[in-house]
Amino acid sequence: MPGPLEGVRILEMGQLIAIPWSIKMLADMGAQVIRLESCQRLEVYRRSTLYRDKVDGEYWNRGGLFYEHNRNKLGITLNLADETGRAVLRDLVAISDVFAENFTPRVIKNFQLEYEDLRKIRPDIIMVSSTGYGFTGPWANFGATGPSTEGASGLAFMTGYKDGPPVQPEIPYADYTGGEITVFAIMAALMHRMRTGEGQFIDVSQAQATSSTVPEALMDYAVNGRIAPRIGNGHPSMAPHGCYPCQGADRWITIAAQDDRQWQALCRVLDKQEWLQDGRFASMAGRLQHQDELDRLVGEATKDREPHQLMHQLQAEGVAAGAVLDTKNVLFNEHLKDRKFYQVVDHDPSTEMPPLPYAGQPWKFSATPNVPNKAAPTMGEHNRLILGELLCRTDEELSDLEEQGVIGYAPTTIVEPPIQPPLDEQVRQGRVQRFDLDFQEQIARHFDIN
Amino acid sequence: MTNGALQGVKVLDLTHHISGPYCTKLLADFGAEVVKVERPEGDPARAMPPLINDQPGPDNSLLFLYLNTSKLGVTLNLKSDRGREMVRELARQSDILVENFSPRVMPSLGLDYQSLKELNPSLVQVSISNFGQTGPYRDYKAADIIEYALGGLMYIFGENKREPLIHALHQAQFRAGTNAAGGALMALYHQRRTGEGQHVDVSVQECVASGLRDAVDIYTYTGAVRHRAPEASGDMRRMRKASDGYLLPTPSLAPNLNWPDIVEFFDAPELDDDKFNTPTARLVNTEELGQILDRIFLTKKKAEMFYAAQKRRFIFGMIQSPEEVLVDEQLESRGYFVDIDHPVAGTLKYPGPPYLTSGPPWQARRPAPTLGQHNEDVLGQRLGHSGDDLARMRAAEVI
Repeated sequence: MPGPLEGVRILEMGQLIAIPWSIKMLADMGAQVIRLESCQRLEVYRRSTLYRDKVDGEYWNRGGLFYEHNRNKLGITLNLADETGRAVLRDLVAISDVFAENFTPRVIKNFQLEYEDLRKIRPDIIMVSSTGYGFTGPWANFGATGPSTEGASGLAFMTGYKDGPPVQPEIPYADYTGGEITVFAIMAALMHRMRTGEGQFIDVSQAQATSSTVPEALMDYAVNGRIAPRIGNGHPSMAPHGCYPCQGADRWITIAAQDDRQWQALCRVLDKQEWLQDGRFASMAGRLQHQDELDRLVGEATKDREPHQLMHQLQAEGVAAGAVLDTKNVLFNEHLKDRKFYQVVDHDPSTEMPPLPYAGQPWKFSATPNVPNKAAPTMGEHNRLILGELLCRTDEELSDLEEQGVIGYAPTTIVEPPIQPPLDEQVRQGRVQRFDLDFQEQIARHFDIN
Repeated sequence: MTNGALQGVKVLDLTHHISGPYCTKLLADFGAEVVKVERPEGDPARAMPPLINDQPGPDNSLLFLYLNTSKLGVTLNLKSDRGREMVRELARQSDILVENFSPRVMPSLGLDYQSLKELNPSLVQVSISNFGQTGPYRDYKAADIIEYALGGLMYIFGENKREPLIHALHQAQFRAGTNAAGGALMALYHQRRTGEGQHVDVSVQECVASGLRDAVDIYTYTGAVRHRAPEASGDMRRMRKASDGYLLPTPSLAPNLNWPDIVEFFDAPELDDDKFNTPTARLVNTEELGQILDRIFLTKKKAEMFYAAQKRRFIFGMIQSPEEVLVDEQLESRGYFVDIDHPVAGTLKYPGPPYLTSGPPWQARRPAPTLGQHNEDVLGQRLGHSGDDLARMRAAEVI
């Protein structure tokens, strides 16, 4: 079944997450995506999180970070330092509805890929640039990563344990907030073009997009001159509200008792009827005032409970609660399984990788669901398809391009990626909590992979 | 007022709190005509802190004011037959309906997607809920902290030896709102070409789980369960404390960064050592490297190091407080903060466009509606109900 974006063609010159993730979402929903890569400058994510940490052979076709963010795309390698390569790129622009990139403006200018350049080739093109701080302004050419844009946005400053420093998650979070607004921006531009025939230039700043999700903190300062303190897992108007230890190593449950009724149910499930007699906890105001003591007591009461079981017991009584799922448990979560959130994708046989599950989309469409999945391209996988079928280049021309190194199938300089310490050393260092030697079998069983 | 990119798109907004209103705000600020339906006592977000000068009042919540710009506001009691009839009338002439009730509510009101589809086959209905419209957790209760826990983000957030942590404020809700707006337009794109509407089911848990970098892939690729990073770590990208704030150093995106450059930039000869000068060596001696880096950063000033690093094209970032964001030279040059005048709340400074465009721009077309502000405009003029009709509905507490 075709996706809702059937017929939309997107040319992507992305790297890392911000643009690749957004464009993956559009590819999942039926857009045809042509992803541009370079053999001369290997995409960093092709050399990160390698399957079984194997660094030999064509390791660039085994990078987990690349597969995670580039499913359902066609891949072409082009040397843009070469004029012939740039000519191919211009031909691709001419047949594309959207051109999406996340390089600094300096790079885009150097390659003559600014909106004004593209418009000459395709007047109604929609160009989207996603940068850390924006395509314009004094910081336009500042390099950025997810942590730095989350840092600039105001979000990181507000986040952290009580009385501790700011804390960020272990992922480049703002790449995703920036990526989500990029999906919206492209769709709004496509709607506008459908109605008027006009293209546009979209300038996404990941920091600015993220600031837009912390308005209460920014306006509290602008209006009231106040900056709320960091409160960890607490909540300004709810207690108990936190993360409490459970039975086992590094197992936790989150609980948010939203009103008196949930509080009373919590006391019952934790078998702590005596808390109901404690005057300090009789009202939400009292519980907020004594929340440190309350958190300590709740933690004492949860520490010998199994987190999933306790979550189900609390939810059955209408208390908001959730086990803290680690990176394995989220993959194996029963609810996400029922909703088919993780989707199994086959890999090219040359990679010697089995089919593996990957995160799906945050939505389900009733009439036009996401398209059947195809793994991210191996390097240059669709060179011949794109050049031959879309740009009508002859076999001879294709061979010439290969010979001149304009297109290719492997990085031109092969640098061995860093070798990860053995898993037990990573456990000792604390980077890894535990590991399963039979992970492959466990995954195959859970996802019915033969 | 200029036309927006979404001019001519009609949105019926049955949302409350944060996720749904942020979705419809994005649509409205880019030109869609959004009719927000509130219960007669108002969206509970009208009472959400922070409030202007901490004074309670239906138009004093900064979140509510921000989340509801550019919308028309009507009140309807959905528990009354007449109120539901009005919703059906509005749905009949809308392109998109957005709601974020718990999944049982719309069917219990007789407003399930199948019934609405019979009224208007090209309607796009977007439902945002904690865990989606199906599955064993469908009716589970949630808050941001629960979504972070069950979405897999919490476990990899915080200090290694302490309890996992969540983001401050309401991130999961905002992300759901953004994804819902993108999803709404994908379905609308299909509707404009084929006339076919559909139901778009957005799950907040899945919004969190769909952006975890390689946290889950590390398990599927190597069998390792990624943990919160340890304290002493030589990861070059780890946040470090400067003398007057915090820096987020990323010297290079490539793992094979030029080590002598780093030694020179930090002016730290002790880093010029075989223990640190290859990526593999740095992974082995990560604890010692981390301690040295911590010492170096403490002697630096935040902004000075940020600009000096950027000059050398090292990708450094810095942590800014809301106070610093408000005077951030970059945002200022992009015209980010805007003054919006509200009849009750007065003129306040709001965060503005989430992105810039050469096309029809972002624009706060009007301030957030006061309660029932557009009852006459929408229910009277647009739906054609007479003044007497409206008076009767008011008396019956339908509006």
